[in-house]
Amino acid sequence: MERQDKCLLIITLILTGFGALMIYSTTSVLTPVLIKKGATEFFFFKRHLFTIVVGFIIMAIAYRLKPSVIEKLAIPLLIISLILLLLVFVPGIGVSAGGARRWIRLWPSTFQPSELVKMAMVIFLAKYISSPDYKTDSFISFIKPIGVMFIFQLIIILQPDFGAVMSLTFLTIAMLFLSGTRIRYIGILVLAAIPVIIKLSLEPYRFRRITSFINPWEDPQKTGFQLIQSFIALGNGGLTGVGLGSSKQKLSYLPESHTDFIFSIIGEEFGLIGAIFVIILFIILFYRGIKIAASKKYIFIGYLVTGLSLMIALQALINFAVVTGMVPTKGLPLPFISYGGSSLLVNMAAIGMLIRLSKKDENEETEDKNIIKKKIIKRKVESRNFKRNYKGNRIIFER
Amino acid sequence: MNKKRAVILNTVIIFSFFIVIFRLVDLMIFNHKILANSARKQYIKVEDIQARRGIIVDRRGRELALNLELDSVYCDPQNFTRENEKLGTLASLMGQKPEAILAKIPEQGRFVWLGRKMEPEKAEKIKSLKINGLGFLTEAKRYYPKSNLASHIIGFVGVDNQSLEGIELKYDKYLKANGGKVIVERDAGGRILSSGVITEIKGNNIVLTIDEVLQQIIEKELDKAMSKWKAAAGSVIMMDPFTGEILALANLPDYDLNKGSSANASERRNRAITDCYEPGSTFKIVIGIGALEEKILKPNSLFDVSRGGIEVGGKTIRDVHKYGVLTFKEVIQKSSNVGSIMVGMKLGKERLYKYAKLLGIGEKTGIDLPGEVSGWIRPPEKWSATSIGAIPIGQEVAVTPLQILRAYSAVANGGYLVTPHVVKEIISPDGRTIASFNDRDKIRIISSRTAETFREILKSVTEEGGTGTLASIDGNDVAGKTGTAQMINPATKRYSKEKYVSSFVGFVPADNPRIAMIVVIYEPRGQIYGGAVAAPVFRDIANQALSYLKVPIEEKQNKPDIVVMR
Repeated sequence: MERQDKCLLIITLILTGFGALMIYSTTSVLTPVLIKKGATEFFFFKRHLFTIVVGFIIMAIAYRLKPSVIEKLAIPLLIISLILLLLVFVPGIGVSAGGARRWIRLWPSTFQPSELVKMAMVIFLAKYISSPDYKTDSFISFIKPIGVMFIFQLIIILQPDFGAVMSLTFLTIAMLFLSGTRIRYIGILVLAAIPVIIKLSLEPYRFRRITSFINPWEDPQKTGFQLIQSFIALGNGGLTGVGLGSSKQKLSYLPESHTDFIFSIIGEEFGLIGAIFVIILFIILFYRGIKIAASKKYIFIGYLVTGLSLMIALQALINFAVVTGMVPTKGLPLPFISYGGSSLLVNMAAIGMLIRLSKKDENEETEDKNIIKKKIIKRKVESRNFKRNYKGNRIIFER
Repeated sequence: MNKKRAVILNTVIIFSFFIVIFRLVDLMIFNHKILANSARKQYIKVEDIQARRGIIVDRRGRELALNLELDSVYCDPQNFTRENEKLGTLASLMGQKPEAILAKIPEQGRFVWLGRKMEPEKAEKIKSLKINGLGFLTEAKRYYPKSNLASHIIGFVGVDNQSLEGIELKYDKYLKANGGKVIVERDAGGRILSSGVITEIKGNNIVLTIDEVLQQIIEKELDKAMSKWKAAAGSVIMMDPFTGEILALANLPDYDLNKGSSANASERRNRAITDCYEPGSTFKIVIGIGALEEKILKPNSLFDVSRGGIEVGGKTIRDVHKYGVLTFKEVIQKSSNVGSIMVGMKLGKERLYKYAKLLGIGEKTGIDLPGEVSGWIRPPEKWSATSIGAIPIGQEVAVTPLQILRAYSAVANGGYLVTPHVVKEIISPDGRTIASFNDRDKIRIISSRTAETFREILKSVTEEGGTGTLASIDGNDVAGKTGTAQMINPATKRYSKEKYVSSFVGFVPADNPRIAMIVVIYEPRGQIYGGAVAAPVFRDIANQALSYLKVPIEEKQNKPDIVVMR
C-alpha cells in the first residue's frame, strides 16, 4: 500500500450521494408532520447538502491528523465527549425532541454527542489495548474499558438512546475480543446481563415493546407499527423496486423514513437490487478497512483502523437488522445515508482517518520504528516484573 | 493484534451482512405479494363518490324517480373537540342523546357518519354550530314524487342508494352507470394525493313504457273496486297488444316508495307477475283457439248442453244456468262449462296442452321486472281422469295475470305472442339513446284468421247475452272474457266456498285494439263473478283511457240495457 486507498473515498462519495438523493426523495413530498416542522420541498435536502459539505471539510481535517496526534487525543476526546454528553441535560444547551434529550444546541444546528462518543471510544480502546500496560489475561485490564463504557451508557440511557447503547456495547466487546482477552471475561459480562433480561421479562409491557420485533403483527397499531410499515415498504419494492420517488410508504406511513428507516425506502424504490447494492458497498468498505489494518505493523494504528471500520460496519449492520426486524427496533442512523448531521460528520471523520492510514507514510514509519523501539525497551522491563507473578509473557511477544 | 480472532470477527460480520441479504430476499421476493397488497390496501382507497342515479320517467317524460341533494354530517374523530354545550344542541337537533352521539365516535379512524341525508334546515343549524371535526357531504337521496304511483314497477333504493326492488333493481347497472367509485391514493393522514377526475357522475335515465295518466286511472279504479267489493287484493295490467309495452300496471295493496323499507311483504308483492291463480273461464281461450286453429269447429258448430252437466271421470261438472243447444260462439259467450269441456274433449289432451303452451301458459313472459314466476300446467301424461273436465275451464292450472293478458293480446294483434316490457329506452345523461326496446320479440303463434274469428267470439261476450256485458262501453266494441275461479284453501287443499278470484281480460277497440287489459280481483265480497266484479272495472278504466288516448268513437249498433249475469 504505497498510496492512499481511493476505493474508500469512492464508496464514501457514492454512499453520501445516494443518501442525498434518497433524502430528497423521502422529504420532498411534504407530509403533515414535515409541514408542522416548517419544511418546504428542499428544506431537508438543502440542510443535508450543507452537512455533506461540512462533512468533507472534517474529512480533510481528519486526513491531516498524524496517528501520533490521534493517539495523544484519545483521552482528551473521551473527556470532551463526556462533557458534551452531560451538556445535553443542561437547560438552554440541550435540545429535546420526540421525548428524548439527545442533542446540544450548536448554531445553526444541533449536535448529537452520543455519535461522537462512539469514535472517542474507538480511539480510546485502540490506545488502551495497544498499550504495554494492557494484559489480555487480566480481568482488571478487561473491566476498566467496560467500566468506561458503562459510564457512557448510563448517561446515554438517560437521554434515552438505546441504539447508541447497543452499538457502543458491540463495538467495545468486539475491540476487546480482538485484543485477545480471555473469552471467559466476555462470558462473565454476558452472565451479568442475565439479571437485566430477567427484570425485563418481569415487566411485560416493556418486554413486549422489545420483543415486538419477533412478531410485530401481535400489536400492529402500537409497538409493531413501525416495523410492519418497514416490512411493507421492503415487500412493496420487490426485486426491482417501484422506482425513484414512487415510494408510498414514505407518505407518512413509515415513521422516520428519512432517518433511521431510510433503508426501507431504498428497498421500496430500488428493490432488492438497490438494497443489496448498498449492503455490498458497506461490505467492501469494511473489507478495505480490515485489509488496511492487517497491513499495519504499528499496533495502535492496526486497532484504530479496525475500530473505525467496525464502527461504521456495525452501525450499518445494526440498522439493517433493525429495519428487517432481526433485532429490536432502536433508533440508529444508517451511516452516510440517513438524514442526521452528527452521524454523518463522525463517520466522515472516520473515513478521513482511514484514508490517511491506508497510506504508507515514510515519516510515520520511522516514527513507528522509534516508538516500537521505545516500547520494546519498556516491555523488557515489564516482562521482568511480569515473571514474578506469571509464568509467561507470550501474549505480549506475540503482539 | 490477535490474527485468529480478527479472522473470526471479520467473518462473523461479513456473514451477518449476508444474513441481512437473505432476510431481504425473504421479505422482498417471497413475501412480495402479501406485503405489496398490504401497501396497496393502505394507500389506495376506493372512494365512493355519490353518483347521481339516473332518473326514471314515464313514456311522456314525466318524472317518477329523481334525486334530492341533501347534506350528511360526518365526524373526523382525530379533529373532534368535545364541547358539551354544542354537543347538547347537536344531540337535540338530531333527536338523540349526547352520549349516543359520543358512542358513535371511535378513538381510531378518520371518518364516521353521524347523520345521513338530513333535512336542509336541520343541516343548516348543525353547520352553524361550527363544531370542530364535523364535516358535511352532499349526498343524493332518491325521491319518488308520486309516492305510491307505479310502486311495483319502479321499486326503490335504500339509504346508500342500493337498489332493492323493481326497475331500480332490474336496471340498477344502467341507473348507476359506471360511476360511483373513484380510486384514490392517499397518505397516512388520509389526504388524497392523486385520483381520477372527481366529477359528479350521473347514471343513465330510464324511459318507461308506463303512461303516468293511465297508471293513475287504473290505480284509482282498482282502489274503488277494492273498497266496493272489500277485496283482499287486486291487479290491473294494461298493455299495448301489438308491442308488449306495459302502459300501466298496478297491484293493491301497494306502498309509498319514499318509505319503501318499511313496507311489508304483501304490499311489496307485484302480484301481476309473482302470484299464480287458477284462471277459470278466461282460460277457455285455449280450447277456443285450439279448436279454431285445428279447424275442428266453426263458430256456428252446435253443442247440446241441455242436460246442464257433464260427467267426467265420475265427477259431474255443471253450468251455472241450463242452456239448450249452443253454438260454439255461444259456448264462449255464455261461458258454458259443459260446452267448453265438450270442445276440450274434441280437441284432445295433447292438442289442448300444445295450445296452452303456445299461448305462453306455464312459461315466464320475460317481462323486465324482477321476481316473475312461470306458473304451471301439467303435461298430458300426468293428467288424471278428471283433468279433461277441469283444464278446459281453467282449473288445475296456475297462471299469472300477465300470462293471460299476453294470450288475449295474441288475439288482439292478429296472432303474435309479444314480450311484455316496461322499459322503452335507456338514455345517457348527455341524451344519447343507449338501448331501445321498441322491437321486442314477437312470435306468430296462430293464424290471423283464427285470431280474427276468435275476436268476433270475444266481442259477443260483452254484447247482449254474454257474460261480460258490464265491460261494454259506449262508442267502441270491447272484446274480452270473464273469469271466476274458486281459490284453493291452503288448509284443506280443496276449493274454497267463500274465496274467489274474479277477472276480466279483453281489449278495446275490438277491431283496432289500442289497449289490452286484465283486471283481477282477489277475494271479492258480495259478488264473485268476473262479469259483475271485474268487468265494470275494465269498463271504467277503458272509458277514461280511450278518451285520454283520443281513440275515435266508432259506429256501433244500439245495445239494450239488459244485464245478464255471467
